[in-house]
Amino acid sequence: MFDAFPYDEWGEDVADFWTFGGHNSTGTWILTVLGFTVMLVAFWGFFILENRKLAHQADRLKASGALDRPSTTTGPEA
Amino acid sequence: MISSLIPTWLAQSPTIEELDSKLALDTQILTETFYFWTVVIMWLIHVGFMAYEAGAARRKNIMSTAMKNILTIAVVTPTFYYFGWYIYGCFQEGWPKSGHASPDAFEGFCGATAPWSAQMGPNLQDHVSAVFFLAFLLFSWTTGSIMSGALIERVRLSAYLVLTAVLGSVVWILDAAWGWSSGGWLTTRYGFHDAIASLVVHGVAGAFAFGVLLNLGPRIGKYTTDGLARTFRGHNTHLTLMGLMLIFTGFYGFYAACLVIQSTIFPGWLNIYGSPTTLGAIAFVITIGFAGGFTGGWFASKGDPFWTLSGGLAGVIAVSAGADVYHPSLAYLLSISGGMLAVWAGGYIEKKLRVDDAVGAVAVHGVCGFYGVLLVGIFAGGYPTGINNVPTSFGGQLMGMMAFLPLAFLPGYAISWILKKMNLLRVPAEVELEGLDLAEFGQDFYPEFERVPEIIIEPDGREVESAPVLLDAYWQTNGTPKTPVGVGERS
Repeated sequence: MFDAFPYDEWGEDVADFWTFGGHNSTGTWILTVLGFTVMLVAFWGFFILENRKLAHQADRLKASGALDRPSTTTGPEA
Repeated sequence: MISSLIPTWLAQSPTIEELDSKLALDTQILTETFYFWTVVIMWLIHVGFMAYEAGAARRKNIMSTAMKNILTIAVVTPTFYYFGWYIYGCFQEGWPKSGHASPDAFEGFCGATAPWSAQMGPNLQDHVSAVFFLAFLLFSWTTGSIMSGALIERVRLSAYLVLTAVLGSVVWILDAAWGWSSGGWLTTRYGFHDAIASLVVHGVAGAFAFGVLLNLGPRIGKYTTDGLARTFRGHNTHLTLMGLMLIFTGFYGFYAACLVIQSTIFPGWLNIYGSPTTLGAIAFVITIGFAGGFTGGWFASKGDPFWTLSGGLAGVIAVSAGADVYHPSLAYLLSISGGMLAVWAGGYIEKKLRVDDAVGAVAVHGVCGFYGVLLVGIFAGGYPTGINNVPTSFGGQLMGMMAFLPLAFLPGYAISWILKKMNLLRVPAEVELEGLDLAEFGQDFYPEFERVPEIIIEPDGREVESAPVLLDAYWQTNGTPKTPVGVGERS
């Protein structure tokens, strides 16, 4: 039964398809460049988004007075 | 009746060529299946690192710690796909090429590692390249996770992501090309032998992390003005220990993935250099390595739970380089020494060098990684390594160590220095005091549990409420913590 399964024939049909073409094709190159670019943008985004959050929270904490200098200290430790 | 069927059966029997073809295909699919499952098991390493580090973090930093491990996957995967794998395939002879005769066991491998190649996409004729790539990718994540624990509770997530991408997709994979491949110049010329990646994964990640720690500095309040170390209590030691056990489980996948199996081409298992070994031999060593490491860690730390389990990891790392060569009894003895070394090195790094490595990663992975390669030079000298059959030697192992120490340390130090100068390495001191989770995620991650005062352990062993201590430390540095590393009066 399995010998009758047309795997090879179907395989050739599938191999001709692959998304936007096979290796070294224009489509593959475009996808590679797009993916690489998105990766770089994501790195930039990680920095921007986090920096915004941290700066906002640091400003809020300073303004709240929660971190004001204590009136008495615990000793000569830092 | 039956005799009349025989001619029919014979007519239907496959030819030798057809059987060869089917056998080759079956073997490829066996290889594909094998590496696929090593990848699945290796995921547990990352589950483990996440739990381990999150448990070691204080309650206010749980999710910011775990998020580093999660986003390691988000950044190392594409960077490794776009250029990391290419470095492994194309830089084995060094850069620039040394010109020496280095037989290429896998001809054309370099071209097959480019992201636009036929092997790096769906390909019905290639059952092996994709899973082999994935196994290496999981090693890359591991290097990032090793560093991640050391930096917790004060590093910016974004800074960590850049550092881990460099470590996981450039630094470690370049050292793997040089010393953990069939055509690597360190192996083909000097017989460098690091079968299960003591140095190329663990040691290098530890050295890179050490470079970063020098610029990152300790957590606020970690050291007194006299330079004595306080101890921060992690919020959940059970979670940390469970994480370590998951890492250990994943290590079996890691060990297995370090071997090469393709039985129609090779007669059996090979190590990464193309030298024969068996899966059983390395499984023997890893298991007895844990036993020895736990034992060494227990005695050196006088029964400390964290260091007992970390000692198990250190023990295995210490014997990984020679796991394909060592007799189990030798592995047991050496792993005991590795577990003890990690404890002592961890104490030295924290108390003498005053480098705040939150989980002891530099000691466990860095120091024991280098130690493991050194041990091969001592106990497995003469073993013919790689496709040139160059005898392993103490000098060859030293050559690898001398090549990889700067290769790992300098990029870690340089990139973190640049980030520090741009004020992008460390979170603001105010955020560090309050905890990173509120700033990054706007929530506490144990909402149903009442908050109790955070405790800090003074150098003399007293447990005191941490808030006044940390606030005091914050003000003594004018809100800009620059606690110097390795400077100051010692008592």
